[in-house]
Amino acid sequence: MRYQQRIGRLSVPGRKVQLATAAMLLVATTMVACGDGQDDGGQASAPKAPATIPELTNDPLTLSFIWFDWPPAQALEAFANAEYKKERPNATIKVNTVPNANWHDAMFTQFAARKTDFDIAILDSQHIGEAVTNGNILDITDFVKSNIDVAAYNPYLLAAYGQFPQAETGKRDENASLYGLPLLGDTWTMIYRKDLIGDQPPQTWDEMISVAEKCQADHPGVSGLAFHQANGSDAAAVTYNTVNGVYGGNLWDPKTRKIEGVLNDAAGQEAMDVLVNRMKPLTATGSGNWFIDEVNAAVAQGKACIAFNWIAASGGLLDPKQSTLGSTREQILDKLGFATLPSQKTNLVPLGGMGMHVSAYSPEANQVEALNFMKWFQRADIQKKWAAAGGVPSRTDALQSPEFLNAGPFNQVYADSVPRMRDMWNVPEYARLVDIENTNVNAALNGAKAPKDALDDIAKEQQAVLDSSSRRGGGGL
Amino acid sequence: MAVSVDEAVSTGPARDRTPPARRLGGRGRSALEVALLTVLAVVMLFPVLWMIETSIKENRDVYAVPAQFFGFTVTMDHFKDVFVGPDGGRSALSVAFLNSAVVAGVSTVLATVLGVPAAWAYSRLAVKARKDQLFFILSTRFMPPVVVVIPIFLMYRQVGLIDSKLGLILIYTAFNVPFTIWMMKGFVDEVPAEYEDAAMLDGYTRLQAFWRFTLPLLVPGIAATAVFALIFSWNEFVFAIFLTSSDSVRTAPPAIAGLIGGTTTDWGLVAAASVVFALPVLVFAYLVRKHLVAGVTLGAVRR
Amino acid sequence: MTPPAPGRSRRLSDRWLAVAFISPALLLLLAMSVFPLLWALYLSFTDYSATRGGPARSVGFGNYTAILTSAQVHQRALTTLVYVVGAVTLQTVLGFGIAYLISRRTHGRGVLTTLFLVPMMLSPVVVGLFWRFMLDAQFGVINSMLGSLGLGPVEWLTRQRTALISLIVVDTWQWTPFIMLIALAGLTAVPKYLYEAASIDRASEWFRFRTITLPLVWPLLLIAVLFRAIEAFRLFDLVYILTNGGPGVSTETLSFHVYKVAFLGFNTGTASAYGILMVLVVIVLTQLYLRYLNKLKEG
Repeated sequence: MRYQQRIGRLSVPGRKVQLATAAMLLVATTMVACGDGQDDGGQASAPKAPATIPELTNDPLTLSFIWFDWPPAQALEAFANAEYKKERPNATIKVNTVPNANWHDAMFTQFAARKTDFDIAILDSQHIGEAVTNGNILDITDFVKSNIDVAAYNPYLLAAYGQFPQAETGKRDENASLYGLPLLGDTWTMIYRKDLIGDQPPQTWDEMISVAEKCQADHPGVSGLAFHQANGSDAAAVTYNTVNGVYGGNLWDPKTRKIEGVLNDAAGQEAMDVLVNRMKPLTATGSGNWFIDEVNAAVAQGKACIAFNWIAASGGLLDPKQSTLGSTREQILDKLGFATLPSQKTNLVPLGGMGMHVSAYSPEANQVEALNFMKWFQRADIQKKWAAAGGVPSRTDALQSPEFLNAGPFNQVYADSVPRMRDMWNVPEYARLVDIENTNVNAALNGAKAPKDALDDIAKEQQAVLDSSSRRGGGGL
Repeated sequence: MAVSVDEAVSTGPARDRTPPARRLGGRGRSALEVALLTVLAVVMLFPVLWMIETSIKENRDVYAVPAQFFGFTVTMDHFKDVFVGPDGGRSALSVAFLNSAVVAGVSTVLATVLGVPAAWAYSRLAVKARKDQLFFILSTRFMPPVVVVIPIFLMYRQVGLIDSKLGLILIYTAFNVPFTIWMMKGFVDEVPAEYEDAAMLDGYTRLQAFWRFTLPLLVPGIAATAVFALIFSWNEFVFAIFLTSSDSVRTAPPAIAGLIGGTTTDWGLVAAASVVFALPVLVFAYLVRKHLVAGVTLGAVRR
Repeated sequence: MTPPAPGRSRRLSDRWLAVAFISPALLLLLAMSVFPLLWALYLSFTDYSATRGGPARSVGFGNYTAILTSAQVHQRALTTLVYVVGAVTLQTVLGFGIAYLISRRTHGRGVLTTLFLVPMMLSPVVVGLFWRFMLDAQFGVINSMLGSLGLGPVEWLTRQRTALISLIVVDTWQWTPFIMLIALAGLTAVPKYLYEAASIDRASEWFRFRTITLPLVWPLLLIAVLFRAIEAFRLFDLVYILTNGGPGVSTETLSFHVYKVAFLGFNTGTASAYGILMVLVVIVLTQLYLRYLNKLKEG
């Protein structure tokens, strides 16, 4: 037996390292002192796209999108390759997907790199502010004026997916600039078990809660409600915002940029109380980190009386392979009903979905192709085809078309919800604001914070973010 | 040499240090110890077994409550899904596995090429402030990846290395070089310097002596070191998720993480992908089992 | 170390050789570690943002004072401390225990050691994902097993206290083998004659453990503990996958917080200062590590 350990021969750093450290500090300080050292003279505003589409290339070209990984992404790639190729045989469509949790970071790190592997960014509606302020996407105001029939849309949809600045419940401002066009509309649908609570969906939020309460009591093992509570993406934030809207609250006063005192007013507090003290007790144990897929799984496993989810994410519920509710689509539909959200003091519903935006850093030929694709995509006939392929269109004629309304049981819900939509703040600080709200609502839902404290903290911290531009140092903490 | 599993397994009188006096009274205690070890081993291995089991279950059994340990239908579909895409072509996951292999492989080769000569030089030659240099080298390896990724990101965007395999290869090489130097220095120290001295007396230059006499003796050590570097690069997640985004560059860890968080999570697929991903590492780790202690302490502790 | 050099030319050629062999590696490290760190150091005194672009305004030590006085940062520091201390303590006790039990076996040690090492070799991504699946409150196998023992479902990942405990448990599961491996290296090296001498003296088992085994293994164990502490301090991926910092922010570690500052608001200046402060902590820990390494060498 040996007992010798050979240890890397080494000592704690001596004077030299200390000297080196000091030298490093000195160099760094000098760099600060001398100043500008700036690498990338950032653009102050978004570059403009031409009003008319320049000549298209005939060389083979791949038009790349970036989206997060979910069925609409695959649907878009398949649809565009099948249909757009008929117009432009030399173009191939590639929809790059990233994990949902990484979606914002993946797009904006590339924007920050001033080099993107995508030509069309599919931004969440609230991301527009950040992208515009940083000059990451093209200003397409002139392009829209000469190529798109704006009268064919509900004005709010055009505003939500393209306009900046934009009021979150606003009408479209005809004079504001546009930076994108709708790709996929979306809102929450209420999913209810017809076999457990009856064919008629509850009409008010209070009624919905009491129906869920009774259903849970009558059916052991099935929880009354299932909804998004996770602290990632915008999960818990959208849930609170929805209840806040329904109970007559406001997220902020856009004119004075006031959140403190607006979000946490009496209506806001009531909404938080309803969410945490009346709705949360009706959810499954451990559902505090649920998002889209967990809610879907609960419905498919027959574990929820009433659930809320994004319409665009609900298609999988009708797939018998993933469901225990029936072995055919029809059997599942006998049990599952889809309805617009109940109303209470208001009938507001959350605006979801995304628009298409042209990356300022993609090659010119691709930008031109991207504009051409967008113009093509907004054609009435294509919008109807997109609806039939499983997408949610935005043109009013397509929304009212049988192609759309018959494509899925939840599509009528979407058509009915369009006039009722409200979005979140559409400001460059969105990512920070939504993180503050997400983590605090999630904390309240999981008993890590008292509901009132959580709401007050959200208001205080969000206000600090909006007001932080004048602060020296420590931004973003 | 390092502690080896083989060494630990060898039995014999020399190893048996249980004093005879305690033998009789110790039988009950010995049984207790065996039982305790068994329980601990089961606890440690259960998650791995459960992962393997989940990977061969049908999805409806995956969600079964209470959990099904036995008597489920065995399916290989998830493993097929790992490699074959829904359209019959190559799946995104299999592309990611390939990317991982390229990135891990190239960065390991680079780290070895850069690290081995440096380790030899630190061991054999007079280097000014050797200790300080070695300390500096080691401390770069300990930097928190989340912190390093911020300036690396800024740097890469200047030179266009964001979202490229080369970018990942370079940063993995930079993280593996300190490890290689430390680990290899130990191996070089074990080779008597007299071999080189003798060769030089015979008229070889120092370089020739290194190349002809020392290097061949170092090959097993190099192999072991390379395997550890390979495992690090293969498993790495933080740089991969922040520095890459497109399917053609993304390595396996972010790709596997991306399997959750869509509209439905296919846990069977997650499990199958994890099994496929872990398998090469386990095989490699088994190959270098003699050098595990040195390998996991960056070569700092060796016996 | 250096062989006697017979003459000036050899010394020269040795020096040339050392430069040629060492400088490529050092240059890479300078380019990929030192230069970025210097850049971060520079940015840490500014309000630079990677996305907004534009010139970086100097804010002096503004970022540093803001970080050091931020209640948000203090909360993350406390979480990190609890996590590091909890995880490292638990895996040290368990790892040493297992190593001790294994070292007392005469048969099957190789197999046992190999099996115990498996968790350590897995990627944190795989570990995180799989534990998330097993700890699911609804259909996770852990609650399922507790259920068959008549215990109610536990919210492993969604309660403040259990979430941090879960994080510690998962880390312990993965890294106990590390401590075990090193402790085993120490234990199998304790010379047999020491035990024999002690058994002649009829010393009690506990006495032998305390006076012979522990003192001989302790220095090596300390190395392992410090090494783990550094690694645990840097932890990011497990949090990202297992809890995403939740519920609320109660499992956000310092690394996770830096990520949010750097990539959500793109407050690059602040994030750089935050990172530099973390690097300082790591350097202190590394120094300690090396100091003990040297002590071990001398002893």
